[in-house]
Amino acid sequence: MTKTNRTILLSLLVLAGMASPAWAQAAKSELTVALSSFSAETVDPALQGHNVKYYLSLMFDYLVGTTPEGQPSQAGGLASKWESSADHKRWTFHLRRGVKFHDGTEMTSEDVKFSLQRAMGKRSTTGYAGPLRTLIADIETPAPDRVVIVTKEPTLIIPTYLSRSLSTEGIVLPKKYIETNGDDVFARKPVGTGPYKFVEQVVGSHIKMTAVDNHWRIGVPKYKNVTFRLVPEETTRIALLRRGEVDVADVSRERVKELEKEGFPIHMRKEEAIIHAWWILGPDGRTPPTNDKRVREALNLAIDRGEIAQSIFGGYAEPAAIPMGLTWAFKDVGFKVTPDMMYAYDPARAKKLLADAGLAGGFSLDVYAFQLPGFPEGKAFAEAIAGYWEKIGVKSKLIPVDYPAFRKMWVDRKAPGAVGYYNIANRDWIGAYALLEKQGYTPSKLNDTVNDPEVDGMLAQVMRQTDREKINALMRNVYTRLRSEHHGLPIVFVHSPYAASKTLGKWNPGSVMYDLFLDELARK
Amino acid sequence: MSVVAVPEIEAAPTARRQRLPVVSLGIVAIFVLVALLAPLLAPADPYDQSLRLRFRPPVWEERGSWAYPLGTDRLGRDLLSRIIYGARVSLAAGVVTVLISSAFGAAVGLVAGYYGGRTDAALMRVTDATLSFPVILLALILAVTVGPSFTNVVIAIAVILWARYARVIRGQVLTLMTLDFIAQARIAGAGAWRIITRHLLPNTLNTLVVLITLQIGYVIIVEASLSFLGAGIPPPTPAWGSMIAEGRDFVTSAWWVSFFPGLAILLVVLAFNLLGDWLRDTLDPKLRQL
Amino acid sequence: MVRFVLFRLLQSLIALAILSVVVFVLARATGDPLHMILPMNASAEDYANARAYLGLDRPYLQQYLSFVGRAVTGDFGTSIRARRPVSELLRERLPNSLRLATFAMGVSLAIAFPLGVMAAVHKGTGVDRAAQIVAVLGQSLPTFWVAIVLVEFVAGRLQWLPAGGADSLASYVLPGFTLGWFVVAGMMRLLRSGMLEVLDSEYVKLARLKGVAERKVVWVHALKNALIPVVTFAGIYFAILVTTAIVVETVFAWPGLGRLAYDGITSRDFPVIQAVVLVTAILVAGVNLCVDCVYALIDPRIRYAR
Repeated sequence: MTKTNRTILLSLLVLAGMASPAWAQAAKSELTVALSSFSAETVDPALQGHNVKYYLSLMFDYLVGTTPEGQPSQAGGLASKWESSADHKRWTFHLRRGVKFHDGTEMTSEDVKFSLQRAMGKRSTTGYAGPLRTLIADIETPAPDRVVIVTKEPTLIIPTYLSRSLSTEGIVLPKKYIETNGDDVFARKPVGTGPYKFVEQVVGSHIKMTAVDNHWRIGVPKYKNVTFRLVPEETTRIALLRRGEVDVADVSRERVKELEKEGFPIHMRKEEAIIHAWWILGPDGRTPPTNDKRVREALNLAIDRGEIAQSIFGGYAEPAAIPMGLTWAFKDVGFKVTPDMMYAYDPARAKKLLADAGLAGGFSLDVYAFQLPGFPEGKAFAEAIAGYWEKIGVKSKLIPVDYPAFRKMWVDRKAPGAVGYYNIANRDWIGAYALLEKQGYTPSKLNDTVNDPEVDGMLAQVMRQTDREKINALMRNVYTRLRSEHHGLPIVFVHSPYAASKTLGKWNPGSVMYDLFLDELARK
Repeated sequence: MSVVAVPEIEAAPTARRQRLPVVSLGIVAIFVLVALLAPLLAPADPYDQSLRLRFRPPVWEERGSWAYPLGTDRLGRDLLSRIIYGARVSLAAGVVTVLISSAFGAAVGLVAGYYGGRTDAALMRVTDATLSFPVILLALILAVTVGPSFTNVVIAIAVILWARYARVIRGQVLTLMTLDFIAQARIAGAGAWRIITRHLLPNTLNTLVVLITLQIGYVIIVEASLSFLGAGIPPPTPAWGSMIAEGRDFVTSAWWVSFFPGLAILLVVLAFNLLGDWLRDTLDPKLRQL
Repeated sequence: MVRFVLFRLLQSLIALAILSVVVFVLARATGDPLHMILPMNASAEDYANARAYLGLDRPYLQQYLSFVGRAVTGDFGTSIRARRPVSELLRERLPNSLRLATFAMGVSLAIAFPLGVMAAVHKGTGVDRAAQIVAVLGQSLPTFWVAIVLVEFVAGRLQWLPAGGADSLASYVLPGFTLGWFVVAGMMRLLRSGMLEVLDSEYVKLARLKGVAERKVVWVHALKNALIPVVTFAGIYFAILVTTAIVVETVFAWPGLGRLAYDGITSRDFPVIQAVVLVTAILVAGVNLCVDCVYALIDPRIRYAR
């Protein structure tokens, strides 16, 4: 080889060497998200859609969009604006034009009507199918870009119920594709209008999707491919993050400090949920001893919420004060949590209250211990509160189960007085009302945890109200009463950490539970 | 595991005189003593939790203290006390499970081998069916149906483990049955019960002892795996397996929570296994099993 | 011989039939899958609807017969949770389990062989002891603990190997090693005792008298004969590896049969539970049958001792 050739070759190699970082960056077109649980894992939004929005929100669009903080937004949904009639019984949604499904067909009001009917149909197992079924009288399609939802009663809840912040009834699906190919094919090869197209799913392992060329909401997606991986073991998720094999991983609160020290950005979703415990009702309501208000108060006072927040939740939690109370809803309805509403840690007073109730010798209490998605500390948490109760003379028996078994005991009302808990997603006032209607309203039978006629009366009125002022006042009264009657054990609001790779860049994951707003991340 | 063991049982097997496994015996003895004397040895109450003291390191580290010599766990409980009491739980689980399964399994094996024919075929098919059911899955199903507990762990494992004994013992009995002294006993008018208990069983004892020793360690390990999956001995009961499982997310930050119970399991199971190997070499060298 | 095989086959089928009833009952005893798939505020009517839709309201006998009838053709029904045919899920997951088990088998043999041979050749010495301890070590630690430590240090900190998933050959190493190490002890013991027997035998004594080099005696003559039991047991071990990999699959996010069973049990997904247990049982029964046949070939006493 001549000297010149050698020099040229050398220079080329050097240039190649210098150029490779840039090349490597451009090749960063894959986004991989590792999650500890996929929950239902179905890709058909009508099936168990209530907690798998991570990947559904990338493949589908909702009728009504939301901001990352869960407020309805005209920018994020297929409806660019909506309004109601004066009597709040007719809701008109104006749809965007020119939105195409992944199979090329155009989205029209017929698709919206079809999707909503399908979500309310017999096969659907979505979160709010029931209430919507009772509420919606008819769906009209006066024009390809207009849908009118007619309700039986005047109501304000329609837009929120069809938005991204609650469940999946608002997802718009292709009528022609589903009618031609059937539900089974759709469940295997779903088609939507979202920025990413479904590629493949291996149940229990991963879901892959690839970007469309251009999306009405986020433009040209930044990542060519997005993969969701199911990695149940935390050590493995973190190892994958360290190796750069995943870009986003959910981590437990106890490992945040370790990762922060190594320089991994931690995105904290503030007040994502409230950890709320309650006593299971018997077939006819509360049973002794928790039917005595003093006992309920005592059990609340015995728990050191500050210590729990600092230790079990690693400091990423705030004490909560209102049973079933959600901070976003408080803002919406103007409810202020004053210092005297916070439960003090007062075991002495708790013991006195028990003595007043005639239980100076203590009593037995069953505490169910289980883990939940997004709440890995579940069992430790149950042990902790059982420990606190032991200290005031309440013999707490830990019953380890998994969540389906607990749910069965709860719904069948076979274990009256036993304690269970859940991490309830934070929501705006409509979502909060939906929660109260599920869990605080006696006619809801199976899931009620309150059984209080006064609360029932107030909630029934909210249902029929369309005047925001009156609704706000009613909701404030509901919360006040829930607190004064100690209708539950509000423990803490938790912040949920998601660790990201160092090269991920700016990302606001929002605070809507089960939705990571990854499409915002994919926006260039 | 399926075993078709056909050992040649000579009248007096040449005993392999090896050194007594002092270390293994010593370890087993120590842990048994610890289990028995737990209330006297443990410095603290293994159930006493104190969230403020969670994840404290062992005494030789900076924030350690003699109040909790090996550190504290996730809920501030003293690790040393939990390991000491855990010896009770884990050893009891191992021993009880193994005794139940060996008793039942040996019985089945003896009956099947003695009667032969259709009885043998039927029993062996049931044994096969049992052996093909994965232990961990059964334990999971049980845990999910009636809730995890010490009893359920024992039942779930014993219900499958007996089949291993049955197979091995039956194989031995088949060979024994071909020997003269059985035929002689029959001629002398001995009934089934007498032959089984007086002639067959004693000749299978060696094998049983070996198997039992080797299986205790196996049961303790399986319990640990079950705890990992949520089907083991549930909190707050101190059991080594569940203690390791509870500490598994803190391998580098609070390493002691999993390390010390892990060390305990390692020593005990290693000791039992080596002891079992020695027993096999001494008592029943031709036994081919897993 | 043929009669023996056919007879055993028939008996295995009977065993499987018994197992199908057992697993049917067990699966349904786990609880109600509807609690998982229906939302929290489902009404009694929603439950009734879903039950009818999924065929769970039919009488048990009918459900059982339908299950068995279809299982014989390889159709294990539809997963209640994933709403997809179970046979599809099996097709996705079973090969992964088989591949991992094969790799683990390889690792296990690679470790057990040298250990077993060394232990046999240097019987009674420190080498023998050390080899035994190394082998038994694999059985004395909980599998998940080994797995997690490996993931944390080898994959996470040192970053030598992948931490999870089944994508590349490198991702087989850690889970394969974890799984394989557990059965090394058994293999090594078999090999060792087999070697000891052969090394003591007339055949080998003759070879030594004839002046065959010691190394050849050990590695060629003795090993060949000692391998027979190992090979037959390898089949059983393989079945064990496939069926007990659930812990390793969980830690390494390996999409295999064990994890499918776990998800099925925790969501009370009857069709999946039934299918996985049956497939596992068929696998194990099949292997047992082969092993018994091989032994029957070798030792006629077993054949006739029925």
